[in-house]
Amino acid sequence: MSIVEVKGLCKKYPEFTLDNVSFSLEKGRITGFIGRNGAGKTTTIKSILNLVHPDAGEVSYFGMPLAGNEAEIKTRIGYSTGSLNYYPRKKLKDLIAVTKLFYPNWNDEAARKYAELFKLDLNKTPLELSEGMKVKCNLLLAMSHGAEVLILDEPTSGLDPFSRDELLDVFLQLRDHGVAILYSTHITSDLEKCADDILYIRNGRIISFADREKFIETMGQPGETLEEIMLRSEREARDA
Amino acid sequence: MRNMLKKEMKLSASILSYLFIAFGFMTMIPGYPILLGAFFTTLGIFQTFQSMRENNDTVYSALLPVQKKDVVRGRYTFVIFIEMCSFAIMVIMTLLRMTAFADAAVYRANALMNANLVFLGFALLIFGCFNSVFVGGFYKTAFYFGKPFVIHIIITFIIVFIAEALHHVPGLEAVNAFGFEHIGLQLIFLLAGVAAFILLTVLSLKRSERNFEKIDL
Repeated sequence: MSIVEVKGLCKKYPEFTLDNVSFSLEKGRITGFIGRNGAGKTTTIKSILNLVHPDAGEVSYFGMPLAGNEAEIKTRIGYSTGSLNYYPRKKLKDLIAVTKLFYPNWNDEAARKYAELFKLDLNKTPLELSEGMKVKCNLLLAMSHGAEVLILDEPTSGLDPFSRDELLDVFLQLRDHGVAILYSTHITSDLEKCADDILYIRNGRIISFADREKFIETMGQPGETLEEIMLRSEREARDA
Repeated sequence: MRNMLKKEMKLSASILSYLFIAFGFMTMIPGYPILLGAFFTTLGIFQTFQSMRENNDTVYSALLPVQKKDVVRGRYTFVIFIEMCSFAIMVIMTLLRMTAFADAAVYRANALMNANLVFLGFALLIFGCFNSVFVGGFYKTAFYFGKPFVIHIIITFIIVFIAEALHHVPGLEAVNAFGFEHIGLQLIFLLAGVAAFILLTVLSLKRSERNFEKIDL
């Protein structure tokens, strides 16, 4: 059974429509979410976190609908929507001390391990961190409470190649422990390394949702990388 | 909810919200419109809203594993906590003026409002209006608070004006009673203040929960 089910998600803005988005996340699989800027990745992610309200559609986690079970579901998932853009003058350790109050499964050891891995000085404030380090701090908050599902909006943006590689290794370890991960990215070469499934969105519509091999087989031409498939597909759509 | 209150106090609260609780002691100032103590307490709470907005608290709170309505309830709990701290000081100071200082010349010669249960009732009305007009107004957008605060200032000064003028109206001198004189009338004003505070706060909370739920973050 899927750990996350998204069915028929619709959201209409004056200039953009998220149209009938459906997909599911499986335990122990990494799903790479790709698409151009403005294609609907963030709107989709925010909709499945109840940060924006879809006009239609259903979202369920662990077999429970999000509506009515939001608090319980959110203690079992980890999510980060971009950079650490709040409380710029509070020390990270104070932010963590407050945040962990809300998670019964918070694991101090895991938090310490991620702080060490990411070389995060918890006595610093967000104001003193580079964009990449802010992303890492957000990831520490999202990953230190034994989340069964991780939903991350561009977690690798701003990270140097080595940090990105380290993060992908963390994703692979978590996947091996049965965690389902959905993450949006523009760095498609990362997905060659770690994604099991690819979710591709264009103009608010899901163009393809398949495991990586099948995605390459059905969407690609012989020898094409994910990036080349996406570039060609977007050009074709633009010129059509 | 306890965690939301802890979060409010440790992260969101401006230090001024705590310091301005002390304006409850203005109850003891002779020859001064003492209801303004309640207004200054709300000014301290306003500082928390400012600090919270500067710190992008809505984004942080929305990422916590709570329902959106819990974010609103946490904020109202904090606001009520500060108001009740200030009100507790006002109650103690008022009781002092009603007992130990009931006959003090400096208060007897006071042309302005006396500290009695009527005063406490009006103080609660000011807090209730703040919760309704300012806090409720803020949650219409979860961002803009300038207009709600200006409206709060206007309403507060109208309340202070009415409260100060009331005992000068012929026949209504009793509302400025000293000590336990006209205690029945004093109690009616206090209970009316309690009812207004509860009603305005609860209605505002429900409205804010509904409004915040609708806002896309």
